[in-house]
Amino acid sequence: MAGPVASEALAAPVVAPASRGLRAPWVRRFLRNKGAVASLLVLLAWCVVALLGTRVVPYDPTETVDLARQPPSATYWFGTDLLGRDVFSRVLVGSQISLWLGFISVTLGAVPGVFLGLIAGYKGGWWDTVISRCMDALLAFPSILLALVVIVALGTSIENVMIAVGIATVPQYARLVRGSVLSIKQLPYVEAARVVGNRPWRIMLRHVLVNAYAPVVVLSTLQIGNAILIGSGLSFLGLGAQPPTPEWGLMSAEGREVLKRAWWISTFPGLAILTVVVACNLVGDGLRSAFDPRMRVEG
Amino acid sequence: MGRYILSRVLQLLPVLWLITLIVFMIMHVLPGDPAELMLAGAEGGAITPERLRELHQEMGLDDPLVVQYLRFLGHAMIGDLGQSIRFRMPVTELILDRFASTLELAVFGLLVALLIGVPLGMLAALRQNTAIDTAAMGIAYVSASMPIYWLGLVSILIFSFILGWFPPAGGDGWQTLVLPAVTLGLVSSGLVARLIRSSMVEVLAEDYIRTSRAKGLPERLVLWRHGLKNALIPVVTMVGLQFGGMLAGAVVTETVFSRPGVGRLVVSAILAKDYPLVQGCIIFLATVYLTVNLAVDVAYAWLDPRIRYTV
Repeated sequence: MAGPVASEALAAPVVAPASRGLRAPWVRRFLRNKGAVASLLVLLAWCVVALLGTRVVPYDPTETVDLARQPPSATYWFGTDLLGRDVFSRVLVGSQISLWLGFISVTLGAVPGVFLGLIAGYKGGWWDTVISRCMDALLAFPSILLALVVIVALGTSIENVMIAVGIATVPQYARLVRGSVLSIKQLPYVEAARVVGNRPWRIMLRHVLVNAYAPVVVLSTLQIGNAILIGSGLSFLGLGAQPPTPEWGLMSAEGREVLKRAWWISTFPGLAILTVVVACNLVGDGLRSAFDPRMRVEG
Repeated sequence: MGRYILSRVLQLLPVLWLITLIVFMIMHVLPGDPAELMLAGAEGGAITPERLRELHQEMGLDDPLVVQYLRFLGHAMIGDLGQSIRFRMPVTELILDRFASTLELAVFGLLVALLIGVPLGMLAALRQNTAIDTAAMGIAYVSASMPIYWLGLVSILIFSFILGWFPPAGGDGWQTLVLPAVTLGLVSSGLVARLIRSSMVEVLAEDYIRTSRAKGLPERLVLWRHGLKNALIPVVTMVGLQFGGMLAGAVVTETVFSRPGVGRLVVSAILAKDYPLVQGCIIFLATVYLTVNLAVDVAYAWLDPRIRYTV
């Protein structure tokens, strides 16, 4: 319902170039975009930190190591928190939860969303009406509201936040894929595939879907950032990760009461989120212009 | 035009109905006895079989779900969203008491978003592919990527604690609105700036811009009358979406600044497991969001008559 005009505009006939290794034109275009490449490196660095986790941090992120509320110093780069834990170690380990949340919730949103969009777009008719109306109703919710509804139903935990944020993004994928499929299924090669007797499922998966992947990849990259923002916001509100988890949103909430005396507890986790989300947005936009500058994906 | 508005309103109704259905089902179908949850949450864990039975009766939980839903829908249509367990008050009353505060926040947040976003986007478009463009878009990216709660905390830290310009939270008067509105608006301003830039770049390449330059119109008129006016058309749709996003973003902003609004109400209701209140708030906010978007679509059709024939 949120702007049928805009939703049709998403359906730009995007036929993604087949990947031909590093010489594929979109890879070359992407590599020329310095901001996007730098952002990709930032994201990779965060992934390495998350994978190594407790092995690279200077102190145990869940144990008291010194007096509480010590300002940043050479020993504790980001200071210590209310319980005397090292904020720097907690921020590094916190990347595990946020990145995991980004990947899981995007997967949980993309898989059913792509599937529903594919059916709605390809089958049309009654299928399309039912799926599109339901997606419209879900899109009528700002995604944080939709996530709140799911949290209410499932209870407060970081796993449920991942599910909630995932469900909240299903309609965006469905709408995007439906648009691409509507234009792709008109193309002569799809008709040819049908004429030679392929079954509808095979056509949908082998011929239509593979050519609709570019906007899905772009949306997913942007959504990882969005999911991390919404997820950490829910944790900040007390609806997601619970203490003593080193989650970035929760850490900001814990430092809120002592903001005046110990600003470092709340500020550093937020800076970490900022670097991840800016990087996701720049990589997403870089991919979009590398695939097709006219592509419209609203992240 | 009248027919267009009517058809859009008629399209709205099934969506509204679906929303009530989805929210109601989620609150009722999932495992867990709402009465029990409410007793545990609201009455400090004293769950006696008698009290449970009483509450079941009171809430009509023994009726079939369909009957419960129809009763809820009937009441909702006349503006009755049920009773809050925690406050022992009508949900509608609780929401309306706080809605003015949320609306005020969203309106001023939107104003901030436009006041920062439009000039920033214009500047980037006019200085396309220069260092100014890069800097302006860099600001836009960063402000759109900040967690709202974090921006709120940082602004309290800087403007209340260090500079002492505004109160950190609570209180009365316009001073208390400044930091929340800027926090909420700044995040959206990045999106507005990016949209204005791309739309302005597109418009500036149009023939009519070249024509108005060629006929000797002052650059100021070319940019404002012919450029910005046309570039703003796609922004109108976004303003509606942003406004809805702000009503929702208020959930976080109101908590950070301890403002008594609907957003904070819904969060406290979730934490207290006050399900009728949660249900009412969410249906209310979704309805407001839909209505705003309807109004924006109508305004859009009025600004750009081509739309009316394509929907």
